Amino acid sequence: MSDAERAERVLGLLEAASLVHDDMVVGLSGFSYQNPPMALVRAIIRRRVKGLTIVSGPTSGIETDLLIGSGAVRRVVTAGVAFERVAAIAPAFRLAAERGTLEVWECDECIWHVALKAAAWGVPYLLWRGGVGSSLPELNPDLAEIDVEGVRCLRVPPVRPDIVFLHAAEADAYGNVRVAPEAYLGRFFAERSLALACRGPVIVSVERIVPNEEVLESPERTILKGALVVEVPWGAHPGGVSGRTVPDLDHYREYAAAAEARRKGDPVAYQRYLERHVYGLEQHEDYVRTIGIERLEPLRMAGA
Amino acid sequence: MSVSGDPPDPRLLACVVARELRDGEVVAFGLHAENLLRAAYVAQRLHAPNLVIRHGLRAERSAEIGPAAWTDDRASLSRGRVEYFEAHDAILDVANPGSPQRFCDVFVVGGMQIDREGSTNLIGIKGPDGRMAVRGPGSIGTTSIGTLARHVILFSPEHSARRFVERVDYVSVPGWRRRAAAGLGGGPALCVTSLAVMDFEEGRMRLRSVHPHASVEEVHGRTGFELLVPPRVPVTEPPTRAEIEALEAIAPPGPRESAGEDGA
Repeated sequence: MSDAERAERVLGLLEAASLVHDDMVVGLSGFSYQNPPMALVRAIIRRRVKGLTIVSGPTSGIETDLLIGSGAVRRVVTAGVAFERVAAIAPAFRLAAERGTLEVWECDECIWHVALKAAAWGVPYLLWRGGVGSSLPELNPDLAEIDVEGVRCLRVPPVRPDIVFLHAAEADAYGNVRVAPEAYLGRFFAERSLALACRGPVIVSVERIVPNEEVLESPERTILKGALVVEVPWGAHPGGVSGRTVPDLDHYREYAAAAEARRKGDPVAYQRYLERHVYGLEQHEDYVRTIGIERLEPLRMAGA
Repeated sequence: MSVSGDPPDPRLLACVVARELRDGEVVAFGLHAENLLRAAYVAQRLHAPNLVIRHGLRAERSAEIGPAAWTDDRASLSRGRVEYFEAHDAILDVANPGSPQRFCDVFVVGGMQIDREGSTNLIGIKGPDGRMAVRGPGSIGTTSIGTLARHVILFSPEHSARRFVERVDYVSVPGWRRRAAAGLGGGPALCVTSLAVMDFEEGRMRLRSVHPHASVEEVHGRTGFELLVPPRVPVTEPPTRAEIEALEAIAPPGPRESAGEDGA
């Protein structure tokens, strides 16, 4: 063994958010209620960047809607933005799309993944059979329906994020990103797809930084290596952390009610939400205090 | 959301779908579809012990109604029920529906609009000027799976003229005519709603049975296109004793969150 020291890959939340600039293509984790990198999203919104393209989901949630609602987003690449039963259509997404201030690259979950794979594999396009006969090629000029050796296919272009932000249960200081042992619903979601397609840094906020020894004991829980790591307990709130915490549905309802009121012409509650949860706070610790630890702790899953 | 009048019995809809699921098949549906989970569970217990349920990213032996992933239930019931987990990009395995490791055989799907040829729309509703007036959630996972699954069952707890339209404004999942034009052949097999069960004749939706609380006239009045109606329309068979027993074996009995509907 040499005495040279292995480099840690840990950084602070503000430092991570400062990597985002106007007009970037930003990939975000978050499948429905699970694993949205909300502390990072709030820190990005505080920087008041504009013109972002958000690649999220493939079925996106509040991480995407809040960024849209704050005015940071020009375009989304997503199969949908919704909050399950709380809001069948995410309100800020709906308002911006109906006003025409938001472009939507219209896809479904499979086509979203195919586009990221095209980027990950470095090819100019991939062929995909699903979606022929749908409206998707009419709605996206770069998604052509073509015949290849007698088979009708979609020609799917690469979607390549400039930077990716994820939230996960844990990681070590060297950037090994891990799921919880009780991860369920899925082993993981689109974290790897986004990271592998990304041309730049992959930043993951985690509930806890764990010693490298723990990683070596159960490498099957490592889903990604080489990420930059930010320790942010409750960093997915109000989203859940797969296998660790459940979503705060009361918070989702409060957010959705405010966003829906704004969609119908009354922006006051949404402005108040942004002040209270984003702009009025300097750092994530203030957010945790605002929500209240007594409200957060009951969101932990049994045995997690 | 439910239509006005008698609320549909969700147990009846679960049983209608359950009867369509065959042994050895893989059935897939969306995350928040408790009633479809019930349907698959009933089928597993009664006639399809080898039915595989694709729910989200897992394959399971029975239904976890209201998992902690999207309710505030802190204890997951999935332990001991789930056999297989995968990452989300495994949905791409639908690309070859003939593969033995295919994603699914049967896909149950809904829409903001459904038309007479069985096309669905989750993208948006056009206004009088032809531009999108109502932005929908997006096609979610429906387009590719609905295009490539061997059997598609349309499922819509709401049966209204607003939902059942002559022609959808945008197509998330293509129905019979659009599939034929894209060289796919076939089309949705069935459409189950709060009022009735429909099938398709030469690519056009046809009334197959009317639920006990509804009438042919009511179905007509709440459908925005001319539905094919055979001379005699039977009443949908109510849940049998065995089906009710299977349903009662699932706890808890109802969805935890209110004001929504089961969809895919």
